[in-house]
Amino acid sequence: METYNPLTGYLPLALVFLVAGGMAFAIPLIASMLGPKSVNPIKSETFECGNVTIGSARQRFAVKFYVVALLFIVFDVEAVFLYPWAVNFKALGWFGYTTMSLFAATLIVALAYVWKKGALEWES
Amino acid sequence: MPSFSIQDFMPIFPAAILAVGAMALLLSEAFLVSVPHASASRGYQAVIGVITAAFAGTVAFHNAFEDPRVVLQGFAVLDPFSSFVTVVVAVTVGLAVLLSAGFLKHRNAERGEFYALMLFAAAGMSLLALSAEFITLFVNLEVLSVATYALTAYLRRGTRPAEAGFKYFILGAFSGALLLYGAALLYGATGTTKLAGMAEVLRAASSGDKAWLVYCGMVLVATGFAFKVAAVPFHMWTPDVYEGAPTPVTALMSAGVKAAAFVALIRVFVALAPGLGPQVPFVLFGGLALLTMVAGNLMALPQRNVKRMLAYSSVAHAGYVLLGVTALFAPAAGTEGHGMGVLSASPLLGQVPASAHADIYKAILFYLLGYAVTTIGSFGVLAALERREDETRGTTWDLDRFAGLAHSKPGWAIAMAACMLSLGGIPPTVGFMGKLLVFRAAVDAGLLGLAIVGVLTSAAAAYYYLRVVVYMFMRNAAEGAAVPERHWQTDVALAVATAGVILLGILPGPVTAWLTQATMLALR
Repeated sequence: METYNPLTGYLPLALVFLVAGGMAFAIPLIASMLGPKSVNPIKSETFECGNVTIGSARQRFAVKFYVVALLFIVFDVEAVFLYPWAVNFKALGWFGYTTMSLFAATLIVALAYVWKKGALEWES
Repeated sequence: MPSFSIQDFMPIFPAAILAVGAMALLLSEAFLVSVPHASASRGYQAVIGVITAAFAGTVAFHNAFEDPRVVLQGFAVLDPFSSFVTVVVAVTVGLAVLLSAGFLKHRNAERGEFYALMLFAAAGMSLLALSAEFITLFVNLEVLSVATYALTAYLRRGTRPAEAGFKYFILGAFSGALLLYGAALLYGATGTTKLAGMAEVLRAASSGDKAWLVYCGMVLVATGFAFKVAAVPFHMWTPDVYEGAPTPVTALMSAGVKAAAFVALIRVFVALAPGLGPQVPFVLFGGLALLTMVAGNLMALPQRNVKRMLAYSSVAHAGYVLLGVTALFAPAAGTEGHGMGVLSASPLLGQVPASAHADIYKAILFYLLGYAVTTIGSFGVLAALERREDETRGTTWDLDRFAGLAHSKPGWAIAMAACMLSLGGIPPTVGFMGKLLVFRAAVDAGLLGLAIVGVLTSAAAAYYYLRVVVYMFMRNAAEGAAVPERHWQTDVALAVATAGVILLGILPGPVTAWLTQATMLALR
């Protein structure tokens, strides 16, 4: 009789780690070999996100970043709620449909407000 | 599949009405306003706010006569406590919206978002009062907190609102995290987040099993609530935030947030205490009550700034409510062992005290109502007196502003005098009746020492409350003192609040009788 090895169940997990680790090395390697190169000062910054990376951290930057971050959180959290509902769509039935519709309707009100207020326009 | 009946949703109707009203105000701001930066086209928004609050209050009042029961699979309860607090919150937010109308118009800052945030905060308060599960409770606490953070920093002129907003946000977030940590420990000890389930597990578990986990959890949860109700030593943010926030918002915070947080606190600790023996909450809340009553009143004594004085007074009044809360966990005089030994099991609160404790509940709820009406009135007069031009100077709320008010604005002076007498606990006002009920409940529960401290501190408090009255009626206004504008909305709100303060003081009978009936029903 085969002895029970509690680690057997973790083999797929080990594979995932292996693949993920392999990817982490393989993708940059392939990219550096195959990718087109256009080197300029902005491209070579660590984070290419609109702010100067090196220098004083105490500079003012546009409040628009906060608005975008805030809106991202709102609709990100929405997705977190929508996924479990989508997975259990049949089990939750009409009850789930009604509650999620109310939830989505509330968010649509928020979206309409945000849109009309011009928070989605970067240049104004 | 979860199954619900329409009856399950009755307790959340008031909150739903408030939320729908708030969304309507948001949309009106986005789609109906033709002139972007003028208050003139926004007169209807305050009316929508008041109508929404009145509608929600009516539904909550109707709910209060329902049979108490657990709804939504144990996530919420429909009982007189939650309904009563929702009525208090609806009255508070209605009056605060009325006060804001004049206040914001004077500053040309009237916006639908302001009223919407007030209504969202009220919805959070209403839901907080009926939460019977920790995640629901935390989310609703955050709903009301986030709305009040934004309201605090709403007027962006000068540094004061920013300071107030930041202090409130950072300390509020911190206290929220403490509460959540405590809830997590309690979940770890019991394996459920529902209060009724926690109580069951704690009762069934052999003593000492996970006691330390539960004790730590309870202390952390109590600390989180103590921040919200501004109990000493967790009151540091109160004067700065109350001073920096727009005055109608301060009124809403000190009346509504406090009432809702106290009901949630009581619900949590009454449910959990029996499983452990009530010694922990008794010592915890007894200590908090003692510190809060003494320190709150002492710190209010030297304040010449009336708004700061009222902020410290709000701290002191949290102490009197905490005295009532302590009485709930007091070792009952004349019976053997702890008073909680005579608890009767009930599905409502996990386990609730027998009818002997009905008087204490009645006292606390009446006190919360009385304090809400009074604090709205006193901050209302303050808001009416404020002038935009004075905001940058530090003297806006100085006592001197009240000098000679009895001559220039007799109506406001009478309203302020009634509120000051009520805060000081002097008859014939609601504050006197509230204090009488709370102190009597404390004495009946055997807390003679704490009750004496309460009486002594409220005697000392009379000094700083009556000083305002003396300034209004016995001093003459300084030469060339500015005359504040009048708005009919402010006058209506002040009239309602003053009428409440005096009528509930002279004729508390109907309310107390109803509270007695309701609490007996709930504790059955």
